[in-house]
Amino acid sequence: MSSLLSVENLSLKDLSTGNDVLKNISFQLNEKEILGVVGESGSGKTLLSQAIVNWLPENLEISSGEINFLDKKINLLSESELEKEIRGKEIAYIGPNAINSLDPTYSVGHQLLEKAISIDRDNTSKNILKEKVISLLDDVLIPSPEKRFYEYPSQYSGGMMQRAMIVDALLSSPKLLVADNITMPLDVTIGAQIIKLIRILREKFNTTIIFSSSSLPVVREIAENLIILKNGSIEENNSVNKIITNPSSEYTKELINKTPKIWSENIVFQENENKTIISIRNISKSYKVRDKNKFNSFYDVKAVRDFSIDVYEGENLGIIGESGCGKSTLSRLISLLEKSDSGTISFNGEDLTDLNKNKIKNFRQSLQLILQDPYNSLPSRQTIGRIISEGLFIHSNLNKKEIKEKVLFTMEEVGLDKEEYNKLLVGKSGGFRQRVSIARALILEPKVIILDETLSSLDQNEQNKLLSLFKQIQQKRNLTYIFISHDLAMVRKSCNRIAVMYMGRTVELAKNDTLFNNCRHPYTRTLLCTIPTLDKNPYDKKLYLMDGEPPDPTEVGKGCSFNTRCPNPTHECKEGSIEMGLIEIAPGHLVDQCCVNCG
Amino acid sequence: MYHLAGQLVRRVLQGLVVVLITTFLIFSILRIVPGDPVRLIVGGMAPDNLVEEIAEKMGLRDPIPVQFGRYLLEIAQGDLGNSYQRPKNGMMGQGGDFNANMDVEMAEVSDLIFDTLPYTLQLAGLALLISLIVSFPLGISAGLKPKGIMSKIAFFISSVFVSIPNFWLGIVLALFLTIKLGLLPSIGYQNFAYTILPAIVLAVETCPFIIRTISVSFAEISQEYFIKSGKVRGLTRNGVIYRHTLRNASIPLLNLLGIQLSTLLGGVIVVEYIFDYPGLGQLTIYAVLQRDFPLIQGIAMVTSALYVGLNIAVDLITYSIDPRLES
Amino acid sequence: MSKDLSISKKIFYDSWQNIFFKFSVFFFIFICLLAFFYPEISSIKAEKMNIKSKFLPPIFFEGFTWRHILGTDQLGRDMLMRCLVGLRYSLIIGFTSVFIMLLFGCLVGIISGFKSSWIDVIIMRITDAQLSIPMVILAISILGVSRPNLASIILVLALSGWPLYARVSRSMALIERDKEYIRGARILGASDFRIIFFLVIPIILPPIAFVSVLDIARMMIFEAILGFLGLGVQPPTPTFGNVIADSRKYIMNAWWIATMPGVFLVITLVTINYIGSTLEKSKNKFFGEGV
Repeated sequence: MSSLLSVENLSLKDLSTGNDVLKNISFQLNEKEILGVVGESGSGKTLLSQAIVNWLPENLEISSGEINFLDKKINLLSESELEKEIRGKEIAYIGPNAINSLDPTYSVGHQLLEKAISIDRDNTSKNILKEKVISLLDDVLIPSPEKRFYEYPSQYSGGMMQRAMIVDALLSSPKLLVADNITMPLDVTIGAQIIKLIRILREKFNTTIIFSSSSLPVVREIAENLIILKNGSIEENNSVNKIITNPSSEYTKELINKTPKIWSENIVFQENENKTIISIRNISKSYKVRDKNKFNSFYDVKAVRDFSIDVYEGENLGIIGESGCGKSTLSRLISLLEKSDSGTISFNGEDLTDLNKNKIKNFRQSLQLILQDPYNSLPSRQTIGRIISEGLFIHSNLNKKEIKEKVLFTMEEVGLDKEEYNKLLVGKSGGFRQRVSIARALILEPKVIILDETLSSLDQNEQNKLLSLFKQIQQKRNLTYIFISHDLAMVRKSCNRIAVMYMGRTVELAKNDTLFNNCRHPYTRTLLCTIPTLDKNPYDKKLYLMDGEPPDPTEVGKGCSFNTRCPNPTHECKEGSIEMGLIEIAPGHLVDQCCVNCG
Repeated sequence: MYHLAGQLVRRVLQGLVVVLITTFLIFSILRIVPGDPVRLIVGGMAPDNLVEEIAEKMGLRDPIPVQFGRYLLEIAQGDLGNSYQRPKNGMMGQGGDFNANMDVEMAEVSDLIFDTLPYTLQLAGLALLISLIVSFPLGISAGLKPKGIMSKIAFFISSVFVSIPNFWLGIVLALFLTIKLGLLPSIGYQNFAYTILPAIVLAVETCPFIIRTISVSFAEISQEYFIKSGKVRGLTRNGVIYRHTLRNASIPLLNLLGIQLSTLLGGVIVVEYIFDYPGLGQLTIYAVLQRDFPLIQGIAMVTSALYVGLNIAVDLITYSIDPRLES
Repeated sequence: MSKDLSISKKIFYDSWQNIFFKFSVFFFIFICLLAFFYPEISSIKAEKMNIKSKFLPPIFFEGFTWRHILGTDQLGRDMLMRCLVGLRYSLIIGFTSVFIMLLFGCLVGIISGFKSSWIDVIIMRITDAQLSIPMVILAISILGVSRPNLASIILVLALSGWPLYARVSRSMALIERDKEYIRGARILGASDFRIIFFLVIPIILPPIAFVSVLDIARMMIFEAILGFLGLGVQPPTPTFGNVIADSRKYIMNAWWIATMPGVFLVITLVTINYIGSTLEKSKNKFFGEGV
């Protein structure tokens, strides 16, 4: 088999710092092979992908080495030659930013057609090219492709845009496809679907693929050979299986250790007495979105529908769901940032439904919320001490000295150095900032803390550190945590009870062990089968990975919102006449009614 | 397409409200601020009781809401009223004659306005054309290469143009081009050539804003991911600029034009005054100086409606370009 | 290093790197000092009429004298002095009116955008309505009646400009309102008032304030226009507007009476505009084009 791409001693230099960001990269790629490139952020995998397609930012330059593509040295070609022959034609690129890859003012189909026309050299008729685009949209499993051809990028979901960009890449029947971190912004289940799709397409189109990602388990799904990058140089270059079973470098061993262990380890949680601290019954929240097709009417988008749960004192409750399931709305409802349309929330027996402003303000001392984005959730112009003191300014009558004492005490508790009191947030890491957020919340001495995707933007190291901090504080202060997240691996480590949310409702609720080893709902099974892990996954993707995406929230009617993807829908499910509600199938294990009989 | 029609109806209704508010504001300001129009009609020597009598007859002593209501009724019937000062035969009133003006038939406001409007539209149109011809190349090249020399030139020209008072420029240009060089006519109107000098002054006033908007939006949009990824997808550089960058950049430009209208109008007034150009601007100045209420109100309504109408048109056009935009 | 500075300092420091900016700032300070002090200490007075030296042209033209660098007008008054006195009024009116419209407009805009109730809708319609009335009309209607004085002129200019500030600050407030740190503050229990005054205003006001420098020049031009139409500060106090208006009669023989004040004003304004545009460019570097 001839070598399609051969990279020899490639080095990339950053002209503004003078440092080499890629050092001496060499590897070979054969036809029809799938090569995986794994590296943490900053390792250079994106730069490598961009260098191959010659799409580098101005300050980066190839300082040495060659890139040979089919016996052409493409690192030496001129801009016009690259434009005519290589980019978008023989070598195609898809990146992690699919949503922003197309002009929002033209329809998706129009732009795919535009590319098809632009690369076409045989003067093919527009109609034939349009047919080709539509048939490719069908190949990537976009439903109703003839209709969606005319829709705009803003009407496509993240997963669908990624598929559209795959179409864009395949239009030229490229010999080499560079897939740069394409699953990163997507929900794990959608990402798994895309990977399955790419494997199928590779067979159909005979393309060679370079697939880069920061997740080793993800790459294992698709690649045959693997390169591990660290700080711009190659650590390992071998077949995937050899590297995973027998890593040669320390770094790789560490990397493998860091991937989450879901089923190979068992975590023991403390048994608590089940004293309810928060009781949520049947809350719903809808938003009005203007109906574009009529004059003055509105759609109801039901973000949260008929949601009920009890939170026990001292526990770690996890609420899991993918994007669009309503978990952010849920956290706003529980923390009283927004008022639910119906239903009740009680805290320690007290009904929170119709409180006046003052009572709500007082309530805030008992329940706090820590947000996801460490960079935007704190005021950037205040000193750290001031930020943490804010709560005391609002609620307490202490004087400045007493406040400062408390702040310093709390700072110590969350692992912040006392010297940071007068400093600003500029230049501080995400983990540091989250600690400031935590201190800010703790200073009010709440009983419950909601962590809304709080760890999602941090890397694995920081996450682990913060999780152990949470544990410490919890033991000291007898706190209750509610973790809202999409990250099953994190929840597996930290929560003793887990609820799975889909389209605004709970579909399954169980203890940690039960959920991961013995779940019943098909949605839960899909989530579990797609967790990126090197462990042996008891849930086989071939059996449990669902197709399709969550339905448009404006189109969901009565009954089970899951019926469009359920593997076993009954007649009533499809009609919408089925009764909804959770049933306890074992102590502490609740599931949607309809699933009880499906098995 | 129901929703476009729905949008349109909604905007028109909102626009009517704005026109109403504007007219009411002007209506009231005129009647609150000191300066009696009746005085100006009958002259400074007339006895006070005569002034009062005439004012009563004209309905000017009734409470303002009542007067406004009456005014609206007349508008609904299509009557914008008659001028206080300009008689139908075109000659200016003498303003010292106690009895005369009540008998001479005064010019209809609608006639006065729509006679002068075409001249102003011609002036504004030519000024806009000149501005766009000058601004586009400067703005686009400045936007595409923010650190290049065109950008510095555009910045320089903008800074100078925006610092020139329009009336002074008019005088200086008239001095050079008319008096010293005899190239272009300045005062009054006898043929199209009389529009050129005033249009140039207006163009100088508007160029800086257009240049700035174009260069800023071009620079910004060129940084968008979808523009940059056009290259890696295989589109040609020029293709991306003309089909994508230009299209997206036109939206802020159109918005600017909508807002700039009233600034343009202000400039038109001054420029027409200096060049004695028989347009709506000149009519306005004299109307205000002479406290000619019906004329002022009529002009305010027409210009307000023009402003609203233009902004609605701009909104609809930008919506058709980028469907994400909704009011 | 510049990372540690506050927003205002960042913007100013960045502009200060530009050598022309430095020059413009010093030049502007020089002109201001000149305008406010020179006429006081010089023996030549702006109002002093000297028929013998009327219609003297500016330097380097036939018949000039060094005593009157910019020439004299029809009554023998020194043009340079008249320009400087006129500049005083222009600057005072320009700065004060912008200051008022900035504060008032932003306050209204931010509160309106943040609270977003029916009050917001009404205020927006009012700004819409006001934006459709050209400043000139507003000015003539209000000032055309009684003798315009400094306060009423400033008021009219501020009135004509505040809607734009209200609009811009409102749209910025709308964007800020949905940001995470506001939510973070609400979770702590902060009231709307607290959020607006301690969090939102310190973020929105500085960038707008920097761009308002450009409006100072714009207001100075408006003031000149008003003076030209006879609605500004009244003679015998010389302002750019009324001097140029007067000069039209003599344009054929004494063209400099009309042109020199304009040149003077243009140079001052170019300086101010350059300062303003450079600040705006720096602001855009850190903030984007929202304003």
